[in-house]
Amino acid sequence: MTSNSKKVAILNTKAPFSQTAAKAALDVALIYGSFEQETSLFFQGDGVYQLIDKQQPDIIGTKDFLKTFSAFEFYDLEKIYVCQQSLIERNLPPEFHIEGVMVVSPEEFSLLLHQHNAVLTF
Amino acid sequence: MTQSLAVVVTSAPTSNLSYTAFKIVEQAIQSNITVTGVFFYQDGVLNASKYLAIPSDELQIISLWKKLNQQNQVPLHLCSTAAEKRGLIFPDDDNFLIHPEFTLSGLGELVMLTNQADRLVQL
Repeated sequence: MTSNSKKVAILNTKAPFSQTAAKAALDVALIYGSFEQETSLFFQGDGVYQLIDKQQPDIIGTKDFLKTFSAFEFYDLEKIYVCQQSLIERNLPPEFHIEGVMVVSPEEFSLLLHQHNAVLTF
Repeated sequence: MTQSLAVVVTSAPTSNLSYTAFKIVEQAIQSNITVTGVFFYQDGVLNASKYLAIPSDELQIISLWKKLNQQNQVPLHLCSTAAEKRGLIFPDDDNFLIHPEFTLSGLGELVMLTNQADRLVQL
């Protein structure tokens, strides 16, 4: 691997179980993490639903890949940002199924995203 | 200044964004920017399908990707897991259903491309 390691942002914008985007994003995040790449996770729009607790994907025949989120710290994925405005618009409390999620204003969200060299949107 | 570029294509060949991605790569080459590779992920892997039949009066996006590899040696990487999920891997021969200009790779290749290039663009 070359030495010019990049700061990577994974931007999640889709609800977890309607499409495969959230799972694809998770796979990418874990790979970047395992390559010791500095990677942050961002949740915006319907993507915030990926952080909400007590979901029952089994009743629609979907594997609960959100459980894997609890492994983020083992992959050094410690920067997890969620857009406050997106939570408010969906009437969701800031209660998440993993720890260490930082709720930030849309302005902070934007500023933080811009601190990354590469953004991958799912 | 951007001197090298990597492109991630997550759009299907039925989306015009695949063509936009191609145009970005083409323009970069013309501007003497090194394109370290194109990585196809999610529905983007369908851009490698050998049996995609696009009507002859429509844009032949697959031919454009192939030409990019043949004439400019731009590496075209397919995420193998995404390709498997979309029926592109024939059990007896990995390359039976995809054009030979495309290489089956893992997500690790995406990490490499991210690091090798000054800039990463996703469409």
